[in-house]
Amino acid sequence: MTDSKPLTGGGLLFNVVEQHGVNHVFGYPGGAIMPIYDALYDSNVQHFLCRHEQGAAFSAVGYARASGKIGVCMATSGPGATNLITGLADALADSIPLIAITGQVPTAAMGSDAFQETDIFGLSLACTKHSFQVNHVDELEKVLHQAFEIALEGRQGPVLVDIPKDVQMAAVEQNFKSAAPLKNKVKLPLADISKALDLLTNAKQPILYVGGGVGMANAIEEVRAFARETGIPSVSTLKGLGALDATDENYLGMLGMHGTRAANLAVHDCDLLIAVGARFDDRVTGKLDQFAPDAKVIHFDIDTAEINKRREADAPILGDLKENLPLLTMSLNITEWQANIQKMKADCAWRYDHPGDSIFAPAVLKEVSDLMPKNTCVTTDVGQHQMWAAQHMVFDEPSNFLTSGSMGTMGFGLPAAIGAQISRPHDTVITVSGDGSIMMNIQELATIKRYQIPVKVLLIDNAKLGMVRQWQDLFFEGRLSETDLADNPDFCMLARSFDIKAKQITQKSEVTDAINEMLDHDGPYFLQVKIDAKDNVWPLVPPNSANNEMMESA
Amino acid sequence: MNNYTLIIMTDDKQVVLERILQVTRYRGFLIDGITASVNNTNNIATIELLVSSDRPITLLIDQINKLVDIKSVKVDNNATQLSNA
Repeated sequence: MTDSKPLTGGGLLFNVVEQHGVNHVFGYPGGAIMPIYDALYDSNVQHFLCRHEQGAAFSAVGYARASGKIGVCMATSGPGATNLITGLADALADSIPLIAITGQVPTAAMGSDAFQETDIFGLSLACTKHSFQVNHVDELEKVLHQAFEIALEGRQGPVLVDIPKDVQMAAVEQNFKSAAPLKNKVKLPLADISKALDLLTNAKQPILYVGGGVGMANAIEEVRAFARETGIPSVSTLKGLGALDATDENYLGMLGMHGTRAANLAVHDCDLLIAVGARFDDRVTGKLDQFAPDAKVIHFDIDTAEINKRREADAPILGDLKENLPLLTMSLNITEWQANIQKMKADCAWRYDHPGDSIFAPAVLKEVSDLMPKNTCVTTDVGQHQMWAAQHMVFDEPSNFLTSGSMGTMGFGLPAAIGAQISRPHDTVITVSGDGSIMMNIQELATIKRYQIPVKVLLIDNAKLGMVRQWQDLFFEGRLSETDLADNPDFCMLARSFDIKAKQITQKSEVTDAINEMLDHDGPYFLQVKIDAKDNVWPLVPPNSANNEMMESA
Repeated sequence: MNNYTLIIMTDDKQVVLERILQVTRYRGFLIDGITASVNNTNNIATIELLVSSDRPITLLIDQINKLVDIKSVKVDNNATQLSNA
């Protein structure tokens, strides 16, 4: 029956999506996108109905980040489209390849303040890498291919394609072409390799500072070979976690506001900073003019605009990390510096001896990290639990730790975990969340129920907006404005109402059994871990301070 | 506050002017003047953008260059000297 139907704009969309190797999309139907959903009915592409368009966007982000494919989300015009915006902004800030398809009112109605009409094309300018509005069906195929290419090319990012309803319904006249158009790659300027080599061979106290760009460039092997062969001590950004070998004796963990003391002190003392796919974000640098104050900088990046944006590079190296990193890989004699680093690392090791019976979140997360199967993918929300996860869990690859880095979007974790699980059905997926964040996209428990997605939810519950509460205590004279969540719902009862097995623990003695039960359970699981509301994330670089001025207690 | 004149060559695509204006504002540059024209034979638009800011102009040039439809961005040194005078 379906073969006799002429191909429409809507059908063409799914043909192109499949051509680009994407078999799953996330979305929510509505009036102005009905022809696309009608075409979906006949398509081989599998659609996951999320329960809010923001959930669809973050599931697509999680899908992309966990698998390296492009994530695709869809929404109707007006409120459906505007609900995607936070997901698009998140994907832009973290450089995630994402395609957002929005339905639009028919071309004849556009600009008339029609029902569910909003100028999503205009709204997209500040939250996408690029965007298109397709005004005729003849343009659609070319635009869709361009959208996929732009999302992946160079520094990756989200692309929105707004398709009016009549374009979705229109018959596609030209023959459908199976080959994607050729890429038009931009040639980047030459890198300053000889200057970098000179800096490297003369450095006495170099540090390798690794960011999210390494994973996105598929340059994990190259960066590990560089760290191993040069022996340069290394630190990671939040998004870079997993890129380096965490068992390397010269690896110091995360730097920045909640980084390790050793990482921050080492960076402060270094004489050469080699930034690889990292962009000197304010959460990394603290007070910028006191960040690595005595260091020369070699900066590897794919994005010209990141060079000299926040810190001047003595040797910028633009282009593909896979090609450029091996050019600087050599053995160095920095044994004295390495010995200092290893002593600093030993002196600053994490401690898990926490007094009393109440549960200590860092110890829980370390234990989960020790017990979880290889290739487990962990997503987080935003706040204290996120920083504890970054500090105390260990990841083999950046695609195993999905967190909203730049935007810091609460509500990211649960839908991102759903997308990650769909892209990697055979791996364990855990979302570490907080009692504030989980409520931001709690409706996605319904998506878990509908598709029986075996995501494990590990809820760190202090009945507070914990990170804001921590800052209020430390920097706002303890004036706890709007951060108490004592009236949270009964989370276990809530999870059970979605047919999800749930358990609450409150004592240290319950932790190990509960983690094992969660990990051994075949289906979705919700573990609520009650912690002391007064626990803080340490260390902490206070606002407007240098990274060597960390606080380690109140 | 420094004044600059940028000469931007771009494909004549929808909203390209809005994109340039959005990036210019967001990156901390005030717009003091703008002229734009399109060559209809090759559909290339030339935009002359007068901006002022305390920030280095390379910041804005790099960000405008990242826009997909942009062909080239350069500072018109002659015009900049004039406007500084």
